[in-house]
Amino acid sequence: MTDNLLEVENLHTHFFTENGVIPSVNGVTFSIKKGEIIGIVGESGCGKSVTSLSILQLINKPGKIVEGEIRFHDKDLTTLSEKEIRKIRGNKISMIFQEPLTSLNPVFTIGHQISEAIRLHQKVDKKEAKQRSITLLSKVGMANPERQYHAFPHLLSGGMRQRVMIAMALSCNPELLIADEPTTALDVTIQKQILKLMKNLSSELNTSIILITHDLGVIAEMVDRVVVMYGGEIVEENDVYSLFENPKHPYTKGLLNSTPKIHQLKEKLQSIEGNVPTPDQLPSGCNFQNRCPFAMEKCREISPDLVASSDGSSVRCWLHQEKEVVNV
Amino acid sequence: MKKYLVKRLLQIIPVLFIISFVVFVLVYMAGDPVALMLPEDASESDREAMRAALGLTDPFYIQYFRFVGDLIQGNFGTSFRYNQAALPLVLERLPATFELAAASMVVATLMAIPLGIYSARKQNSLVDLFITGGSVLGKAMPNFWLGILLILLFAVNIQFFPVSGRGTIVHMILPAITLGTGIAAEMTRLIRSNMLEILNQDYIRTARSKGVSSNILVYKHAFRNSLIPVVTIMGLQVSHLVSGALITESVFSWPGIGLLLVQAVNGRDMAVVQAAVFVIALLVIIVNLITDLIYRLLDPRINYS
Repeated sequence: MTDNLLEVENLHTHFFTENGVIPSVNGVTFSIKKGEIIGIVGESGCGKSVTSLSILQLINKPGKIVEGEIRFHDKDLTTLSEKEIRKIRGNKISMIFQEPLTSLNPVFTIGHQISEAIRLHQKVDKKEAKQRSITLLSKVGMANPERQYHAFPHLLSGGMRQRVMIAMALSCNPELLIADEPTTALDVTIQKQILKLMKNLSSELNTSIILITHDLGVIAEMVDRVVVMYGGEIVEENDVYSLFENPKHPYTKGLLNSTPKIHQLKEKLQSIEGNVPTPDQLPSGCNFQNRCPFAMEKCREISPDLVASSDGSSVRCWLHQEKEVVNV
Repeated sequence: MKKYLVKRLLQIIPVLFIISFVVFVLVYMAGDPVALMLPEDASESDREAMRAALGLTDPFYIQYFRFVGDLIQGNFGTSFRYNQAALPLVLERLPATFELAAASMVVATLMAIPLGIYSARKQNSLVDLFITGGSVLGKAMPNFWLGILLILLFAVNIQFFPVSGRGTIVHMILPAITLGTGIAAEMTRLIRSNMLEILNQDYIRTARSKGVSSNILVYKHAFRNSLIPVVTIMGLQVSHLVSGALITESVFSWPGIGLLLVQAVNGRDMAVVQAAVFVIALLVIIVNLITDLIYRLLDPRINYS
């Protein structure tokens, strides 16, 4: 027994397309404790969303988890039958998605959609489910919840719809909430409100959160620990203060440098050269070597391992492994 | 909603005027009715007198206005063949045609919905290939050919169904299958492609993440969304149903408006042709209106106010 709520170990999710196998996620390992908030960051296409969908077994064909374990309360989710995983979805683990505008079914009222989630997992009658839905709607800050219960999604703004999604996700008091870019599609003021709402509800209900984002500002504000992903692999993991203070991996440094800071207004904003390679076009050796300013001969030949150091951080980079070795 | 309905009903009037003009021109150009009405040995002066008595010597526009004037009073003239007013003759055939149309729609829907959904759920499987191929075949088969083939097989060789006529529900089965097959084929393909698109939507993923089972996912969350274009097609298919009814009713001697129209055209019974075409056009307009109203029930985003 561990005190980890969820442990993802050596997860490989590949997509089997007509043009060959696309290895989107390659050996991802991380864990989350009860009540903890972790962030997964990285540019688009680095495997964040695929990782999160893999946890709830929501990967559609032609995608497939080919290797690895996802242990939730020490039970491997990858081995569960469809029926067993359905009891966990929306109940013990729930998800919020990036696109609030398209994530709600347009032909059902929002109240119906929240009640449905409640009635799927809890033995309550329609009336009780409705009552609970209305309570949830007011909890997520919807004005006039009795009336909004009967509203169709198209009548609500993006921010309001994301509140509905949160209400739906929290309807069965899940132990883990996976939020996949929950605020990316919203404007900045609404982003702030939604994040605050998630953070407050999580501490109130002691829900763990996996927050997936490419926005380091959101990470800094919300999470306890950060996992940085690149090319379907974890390249660095550390607690949020150390990561911002002392980023080790050149990719993390690049990400931090390309975030505008208020006191650097006049300096030119830095960017990471090049684009994220698609998973089927990763370079030889280290995935990041073709964009890395510190790349050495060795980086082009052999891929480094993710190495944990004594301070609880881990990093996948030859620069730091050399140092560790010297230090030891 | 009420305002919308009134607006739509008022829009029917100009459309009816256009239809009346087209119907009139067609018949006007079809030739001299007097030649058919009088015996062959009638003298030219008798013919002249007949034409004058019927107002056929008047200019085109006067004849048209007279036609519209009669039409407003519901008077399409008298059938030569039946020696009765044309409109009641057409209207009394309507129930038979409605019956056949409804039965065909039922056949089409009962075939198309399960096949389309199943085909989408098992995309690219052998069964899917079979259903998709079958729907192309169903669409390609002409009504008269399928009708005759069904008669040959199930009424002549296996003598299971009556060859033709209207009466019991057994009489209805072969014509309904004949008329329904093409519509079923079209609907199956449409439901399949809609379902495939909708099953990839974000809100389906949301529902799955809630723990909804795949049956409820398909039949509740996806199906209602996929119905919206299907209703459009069903509305459009009604015009196919009418043209199909002409052929199917002829093949099975089904005493509906289609058979009446075909016989009237053959017999140059122009009053009946005019009345039948006019009634059919009106039906198509009404069905389109009903289709638009059904959208609202299916899709809350559509608002007619």
